[in-house]
Amino acid sequence: MIWFALTLLAFALGVVLQLRLQSRPLLRTLLNPTLLATVLVGILLLLTRTPYDTYTRATEFISAFLAPAVVALAVPLHRLRGLLARQWRALLLGGAAGTLAGVAVDTLLPRALGLSPDAQRALTTAPATSPVALQLADITGATPALAATLAVLSGLLGALILPAFLTRLGVRHPLARGIALGAVAHGIGTARAREEGELTGAASSIGMGLAALVVTLVVALRG
Amino acid sequence: MTSQTAALPPAVRVVLGLGVLVGFAALGEGLMRLLHWPLPGSVVGMVLLLLSLGLRVVRLHWIEPAADGLLGILGLLFVPATVGAIQFLGAGAEWGLWLLVMVAGLLLGAGVAGIVAGRLVRD
Repeated sequence: MIWFALTLLAFALGVVLQLRLQSRPLLRTLLNPTLLATVLVGILLLLTRTPYDTYTRATEFISAFLAPAVVALAVPLHRLRGLLARQWRALLLGGAAGTLAGVAVDTLLPRALGLSPDAQRALTTAPATSPVALQLADITGATPALAATLAVLSGLLGALILPAFLTRLGVRHPLARGIALGAVAHGIGTARAREEGELTGAASSIGMGLAALVVTLVVALRG
Repeated sequence: MTSQTAALPPAVRVVLGLGVLVGFAALGEGLMRLLHWPLPGSVVGMVLLLLSLGLRVVRLHWIEPAADGLLGILGLLFVPATVGAIQFLGAGAEWGLWLLVMVAGLLLGAGVAGIVAGRLVRD
């Protein structure tokens, strides 16, 4: 029971700290509530020598909400259907091409580098939002924890480096910037995209939903 | 129908929406088991829900409070999974390579998406 409480409190603390950092964009992105809760709880587990299995059983209730949350991703997509209908060419083709390119790198580069099989399987799903990467771990045979963690880190890295990179590439249209962030940096990238404006955030939401579908299809077809 | 759900106590509206969302996850799960397709039931459920909303079989206001609530704390829901990364601290230096791979994937993926979308945007 105590681990259940600590997980909720650590996440709430992360949200509170993030809200306090409104004026510091870089710190706000780095201080992601998921990351903070993961690090705090992880340290406590190591210090108390609590086995991960014990922790998983104590927090099953939280994980039970993952599946309905993934289903709920349909709601922002439905709300943005007008934008999707007007700009489907840019959003669908741009988003799918970007996610496919990301998955290709995350699949082929680990092989070329001779990384461990577990890392290879977990990296493939990094462009998909963490809950989807987690559900896909059953199919790829990756360790769920590693697949989910790498997806979170990928989103975080994306939010940090992509806005400046896209500017350097000359990608200026809000829709193009948004779809690019969502296509590979999912949830955390979308939070970052919202800071650039409503349209960028909306495009990123679409990119994130689309990426979940594209990565799922790639994994299914390879399996 | 709108007035009927609006009259429900807020907690009950969340319960109703949650029931629909879990129902779609279960539907996706069952369908994939039946067809022997290797897709996660929840992602299939998301597509089915999107179609049902478009066809107005499911109304947005039935599920809105639950969906917005869940998506608002999406980052919490996979903390139990990401904490499992403590099992991989032994990988040590390989973490550097993992980050390198992800940075490469992010740059190429976002670059392709940004450039393709930028060309195809209609003004």
